[in-house]
Amino acid sequence: MIAFHDVRKTYPMGETRVEALRGVSAEIPRERMTAVMGPSGSGKSTMLHLAGCLDTPTSGRVICDGQDLGSLSSRRRAEFRATTVGFVFQKFNLVPNLTALRNVELPLLLRGESATSSRKKALDALDVVELGDRRRHRPTKLSGGEQQRVAIARALVNAPKLVLADEPTGNLDTETGTRILRLLRGLVETGKTVVVVTHNPEIAHEADALIALRDGRVESLSAPRADGEQA
Amino acid sequence: MNLHLVKLAIGSIRSRRTRSWLTVIGVLIGVTAVVSLLSIGTGVERAVLQQFKDIGYDIIVIAPSGMAAVLGEGGRAFMSGADPDSGPGRVQAMASSFAPTGGTFDPSQIGQPTGSSAAVASVQSGGVDTQKLVQAVPGVIEAGNLGTRVVSVDGPGASGFLRLTTPSQSFLQAFPSILGGFEIESGTAFTNAAMNEVVVGARSAASLGVGAGDTLTVDGERFTVVGILASSGAASEGTARSTPGAQGSADNAVAGALPGGGASFLTRGLTNTDDSLFVLQERANTLWSGQNTTTTTIVRMATGADVEGVLAGIATELTAQGVRGTPTSVQQIAASIQGALGMIATVLASIAAVALIVGGVGMMNTMYTSVLERTREIGVLKAIGARDGQVLALFLVDSGLMGLIGGVLGLVAGGILSLLGTRLLGPALGVGSFRPVFEASLILGVVAASFVIGALSGAWPAWRASRLNPVEALAAE
Repeated sequence: MIAFHDVRKTYPMGETRVEALRGVSAEIPRERMTAVMGPSGSGKSTMLHLAGCLDTPTSGRVICDGQDLGSLSSRRRAEFRATTVGFVFQKFNLVPNLTALRNVELPLLLRGESATSSRKKALDALDVVELGDRRRHRPTKLSGGEQQRVAIARALVNAPKLVLADEPTGNLDTETGTRILRLLRGLVETGKTVVVVTHNPEIAHEADALIALRDGRVESLSAPRADGEQA
Repeated sequence: MNLHLVKLAIGSIRSRRTRSWLTVIGVLIGVTAVVSLLSIGTGVERAVLQQFKDIGYDIIVIAPSGMAAVLGEGGRAFMSGADPDSGPGRVQAMASSFAPTGGTFDPSQIGQPTGSSAAVASVQSGGVDTQKLVQAVPGVIEAGNLGTRVVSVDGPGASGFLRLTTPSQSFLQAFPSILGGFEIESGTAFTNAAMNEVVVGARSAASLGVGAGDTLTVDGERFTVVGILASSGAASEGTARSTPGAQGSADNAVAGALPGGGASFLTRGLTNTDDSLFVLQERANTLWSGQNTTTTTIVRMATGADVEGVLAGIATELTAQGVRGTPTSVQQIAASIQGALGMIATVLASIAAVALIVGGVGMMNTMYTSVLERTREIGVLKAIGARDGQVLALFLVDSGLMGLIGGVLGLVAGGILSLLGTRLLGPALGVGSFRPVFEASLILGVVAASFVIGALSGAWPAWRASRLNPVEALAAE
């Protein structure tokens, strides 16, 4: 679904420049769960940001369904994020002064959907993560696991093809983490492509494909199991 | 969509309640200042112009030293009221008048040489009658002379110096309003220009202890009091220069206790009827020719007459006859005062504008802090598909709304403040009672401006927010 071709990304960091990715070529298979692993600073999150069109590569190309994401205008990238991608973050990143329901509605309303249709889709998404009864709660009144499930509902509400999760279980206890993982795993069954950035070998074990990074380069790739299909 | 942004903005304002209120108060103070100063300023201007309108814009005043004399008199009356002592509660302090306005009874001055005031050069040099002179000028309907000088008076109750006002017969016919209607309370008006007849102002009559039919000696001539004027109700002029023990004090105090207002400051400047004696000019000229009398000639123009033309005609006529005096139209006086008021209003508005700018800077500070605080939220919004323009709009609506709230509240506060302010200012400025004027353009303008100031102050922070790199924004703590 997404192909990285010799992608480099450097960030300015004070006086110096940090090379986050130093020529990464990899593929993320369609309708599979892919884990991106590696130590801190290996470029995992950068790869996820490039895949989700949050950022553009310094050189190389990121192709999604034949479209070069690096060539898109700021507006088209926003549109890509609004329609094709759902993000799940380690720190949940819910808007603090909005209720669970309003948080989930937000992507639809930003996209210009009507209030009624947004409400209905948001309620459906909250049902998927089994939080329909918590819809009026603000993030501060929800547990970490609940917040992350609201975040997942928000990521799913605009029916994206791609769900990108950056250490989704990093701030959760093992049991809750397992539940979130099962939830993400289940998304693959509904035809979504899921990418999970993680430190956790258990998650990596659950994944269909694995991209291991070190120092901005691909250390190892493991293709999906035999029954999988390539992007 | 837009409605949703507004809701989101309201949510963010409410979630930062204290700071939002402080920001709103900053704008509120500025708007309050603008609204109250402008509405009071407009109110004062309207009140002053109404007084000129009452006098009539078809009037030309020929004063010995031109407009300065008229404005000087009027201006003093205008200023004198500003003295806090002039309130009815301080009547004792008003027993004696400021010397140049003349005419206040003061027995302690008996026997002293003729009063020091009113010695401005006479219009009627060489025995030329200005009112007759200017009646020949095209565009003039009628004209009348009004002279004033200080005379020594001997009455049954007291003696002293008083102001003698000498209106001509044509003046009394054409312009009684300038003498407060010249309303006789007891006795009659003048009956015969060939007789020594005097009409006495209410306060003077009380001081001198005379009634209709009594006899007075004015500058050595015996006069019959034919009439007593009704009290104008105007407060005594001048600042406190109390003469303890003066007989006039108690009586003045009674008259002074009457509420002020009614008489316009301009006509009050020309003559204060309560503290004066009146003798027909025709008679006065016969008795005291050659005395230093300040004569003002009042002229009424024909409807639709060209003011400049009439003024020029009068000036030419005066010069030709060698008469000193400068014709000034009420329009000119009004324009001059309006100009002065306009300048004051501009200065006040500038001060108010500074207050508004300070409010705007406070808003900018709040919005900038808000952008810093909400950096991660901005990153999240962008990650879930918000466009740069939407983030910009969100912050603009946020600051604009706070500006609007500050504007509406400031409008209410400014309105209340100016209603209270005019109650205090009206008497203090000597323009009587007046109301603040809230023009629709002021109200709409202020509300619109406060929204724009809010949005403009938020523009730069909002622009920064919209340009944030989503990855960096998400990494913010």
